[in-house]
Formats: sequence, structure tokens, C-alpha cells
Amino acid sequence: MAFIKTKWTPEEAEEWTKEDIIIWVLSPISYVLISVGSALSIFLIPIGFLLLALGVIVTIVLFAIANPKLNVISGEYEKRQKEYLERLERITRWEE
Amino acid sequence: MIYKYGLAGLWYAFFSAWCAISAFASARIFRRSLAYTQAEWQSLRFSGLGAELLRGWFAGWQVFMNMFILGWVGIAMGKVCHFLFGWPIWVGLVFFSSLVAIYVLTAGYWGVVVADFQQGVIAFFMIIITSIWGVMAAGGPEKITAKLNSIGQGWRLNPFHFTGTFTGDFPLAWFITMIVIAVLGGFGMGTSIDWYVEAQRIQSSKTVKDASYSIWWGTAFVLFRNSFWAAAIIAFFAMFPHLTNPAEYEMAWYVIGFKVLPVGMVGFFFASILAIHFSTISTHLNLGAMYFTRDIFQHYIKPDASERTLVWVGRITTLVLLLGSFFYGLMMEELTSWLIFALWIMAAGVWLPNILQVIWWRFNSWGYLTAWIANLGLSWLVVWVLPAFKVIPSLPDYVQFWILMFLGALIYIPVTLLTPPEDMDHLVKFYVMSRPYGWWKPVKREAIARGLIKEV
Repeated sequence: MAFIKTKWTPEEAEEWTKEDIIIWVLSPISYVLISVGSALSIFLIPIGFLLLALGVIVTIVLFAIANPKLNVISGEYEKRQKEYLERLERITRWEE
Repeated sequence: MIYKYGLAGLWYAFFSAWCAISAFASARIFRRSLAYTQAEWQSLRFSGLGAELLRGWFAGWQVFMNMFILGWVGIAMGKVCHFLFGWPIWVGLVFFSSLVAIYVLTAGYWGVVVADFQQGVIAFFMIIITSIWGVMAAGGPEKITAKLNSIGQGWRLNPFHFTGTFTGDFPLAWFITMIVIAVLGGFGMGTSIDWYVEAQRIQSSKTVKDASYSIWWGTAFVLFRNSFWAAAIIAFFAMFPHLTNPAEYEMAWYVIGFKVLPVGMVGFFFASILAIHFSTISTHLNLGAMYFTRDIFQHYIKPDASERTLVWVGRITTLVLLLGSFFYGLMMEELTSWLIFALWIMAAGVWLPNILQVIWWRFNSWGYLTAWIANLGLSWLVVWVLPAFKVIPSLPDYVQFWILMFLGALIYIPVTLLTPPEDMDHLVKFYVMSRPYGWWKPVKREAIARGLIKEV
């Protein structure tokens, strides 16, 4: 998995990287496989089970790539959230 | 659609796949903005008069749209009750929507969320159970497949069976357009009518990560559920393959639920219909009230309003939305074609601007406003006026989409480039807070120069 980065510093995680692009490609594929795979599986059509299984695998890979980065982004952002919320209130009340 | 086109009809419900990319792209950016609504987001992304015009426009449009959706969904419930119990249509509309309004008025968003969770579970499981029952009632999967093949309808089990590349009423070109709109639309905000509802879900998630995952998994379950729904309609087709009147086959799901399920399950089935109805009504009552309260009342009428005042304004707006929805619902037949046209306007000409506002720093509020205004005129011309005068032929909707997108860009891109960019201070604040993707280099450079972010 060296091709895929799993350890992120907050600064690195803020950048949009090749991991994000991979996620953007895998995610719609996963939806298509789940939709088509489950519909065909209900009718016991063999290719349906195969597509559904592929959909599950793609989903697992997708989240394995997304999770480490999102954990870091989320944690880092929450530290600054209060300050942003205060600014939002100031804009709505015409104080900024 | 499934009755008409077989499993390929699944793609009509695939527009929700905008969440595939959005969950890991625009949802993340929106969550970081902390904006309560899409209208409020406009004042974070853009600045000055243009931003205020956009915020006001979005807020007003959304109050109207939520009232319209409430009427639309409400009258559908009226029709179901008429079909089931013989009630006059207005009774189902007024009674059930009012019932929902009670808990929305008293419990607010928290009540909507808690009830919605339970309603989602009820609806999901009943759809799965009813669909399986429907398939078994038609003889089970093997018999359905055999029957379809024996009457020359085996193609209905092929999700990629189209009527041609460009020919017929369900061509491959439509499918490709839909995939582009849905999937690439995830890079933007507001590229789907569902965005405005999902934006509320994104913002009420505890963390950025929760927002991403809730959007992704919510849609995954919807698509999974749709597959079961589709299977049930295929089963219905196997039982009644010769229906040609849409009014008959459009009731397929209700026929399965009320005629095929055992008597003891019918109550659960009706509960699932109510769950879907309650969930939609409560969401839109609350959402419409939020746009009015936050973006119109608080921002433009009384910026120093107390929390107590805001809660009361929210409640009064909820009530007004409810009453307005009765009005819309009862005149829906006359309004529907016009409003579908209005929805189409939202989808076609502003699809690209909705993406550009996220991915391109130079895109400004004047370009975005121009896109909306230009699109009103262009849609009118391309969809109605020019075909009516036989200047152009009546075009399929997917062709209209590409034409409107291209013509609109010819207007709003020059306007964007001929008007000044947004204020750099404002853009830097937005960039540091939201960290958008795409073409933001000058803004990023400025943020680094000011020491607000580190260069990696």
C-alpha cells in the first residue's frame, strides 16, 4: 500500500492529493456496482452476485483510503470550528 | 419507469449518485463553511452586493420551492388515501401534513431528526420485505426470469438495455448525460435539487468526517433500496404484462402492497407509506422555515433578533409553509408542468456555474447571477418558444441540457471576466476555512504569504 498514503500530518491532509482522485473514481463505480449487482442478484443472475461482491470490495478499498485522511482533517478542523462559527454570526448580524 | 423500461429504469433514480463524489468533495467544503443554508454559503464564498443579492435570491427561491414540494408530496398522499379509503383528495393532504406539522412546530429540527431516523428504518425494511413478497408472489426469481424470456421480454432484466444510441425515448445518450450530471455534479453545490436538503444533513453532522460518511452511506442505502423496489415492479410486470395505461401501472407498488401482502402485514405497509410521507413533509417544513428565519428574517429584517424571537419566527414560518402547501397541493395539476420547467431551469443552465463557484476562484457573484438570469430566458426559448414557432425542432431533454449549458457559458463567462474578482481578503478567509479544490492558486499563494496556512 506504499502507493497509497495512510499517515498524514494536518498540513498534508488539507491538500487535495492523488488519494482524493482515486476516491472520486472509486466512489461512483461502487454505487453503480451496488445498484446493478443487487438488482440482478435478486433475480439470482450469477453476474449480479459477482458485481455485488465487486461493489463491496470497491467500497472497502474506498473507505480504507479515505478514512486516515478524513480522520486528520476532521480532528484538525474541529479545533478551529468555534472561531469560524463566531464569524458566521457576525456576517449574518452585519457586524463584518 | 421500471414497468416501461425494465431494470434500465433504475437509472432514472440514479441522479442521487451526485453524492458519490460530493461526499468526498463538496460536502466536505460545505461542512467546513458551517453555513446553515446554501443561501448563507453564498455570503461566505462571494462578497459585497452580488453576494447579498445571491443570498436573498436563494433564500426566497428555497422558501417557495419547499412550499411547492410540500404541496406536491402532500397531494400524492391525498391521492393514495383516495385510492385506499375513498376519501376526498384534500383530506389526505390536509390531515397528514397537519399531523406532521404538530411535531415540527413543537420539537423543531431535533424532532425532525429523531422522527426521521425511525421513519427511515420503517420505510427501508418494509420496502425490502414487500419487494421480496412481491417477487415470491410472482413465482420467485426463476419463474419471473423464465416468464419474461418466454414472452420475449428478457431484455427487461438488462440494466443497460437502451432504445439506441440517440434513437427512441430512452437512448444511451440520455444515460451518458445523466451520468455526467449526477457524478460530476458532485464537485459542485446545488447541482441537484436534493442538495438543499442534504446540505442540512451535512451541516448537522458532528464532524467533517461524519458529514462525508452520512452523505455517502445515505445514498448507498437509497440505491440498494431502489434495486429491491425495481425487482418488485419487474415482478408486477411478470404478473400483469399487458398494461398500457400509465394510470394502471403507476399504481404497481400499491397493488403489490395492498393486494399481495398478507392481511396482517398491510398495516405495516401503510405505516411505511406514512413514514416516507412524514419524513419528506417534516424535512421540507423545517428547511423552508430555516431559509426564511436565518437568511431573510435574521439577515435582512432583524439582525439583532434574540434566540427566542428566531424560534418563534421559525414556528410561524412553518405554519405559513403548511398553509401554503395546501394551496399549492390543491392547484397542483395546473402548476405541475410550469414547475417542472422551473426545476429543469435549475438543473440545466446553472449546473456548470454551481460547479464553477466551488472550483474556480475567479468565478464571481456577477457571473453566477448572470447565469441564473440568462438561463431563465434561454430555457424559455430553447424548451418552449423556438420549438413552438418551429424555428428549431422539439428537442429531447438531454440535448436541451447540453445546449443550455453551452449557450449560458457564452454569456456568464465573459461577464465574469469583465467584472472584478471577489475581494481578496474575503476569498482568503473562505479558502483557509474551506480549502476548496480546483483553480485557487492566487488565493492560496496569498494565504501562504499572510502566514495563514503552511506550504506543503
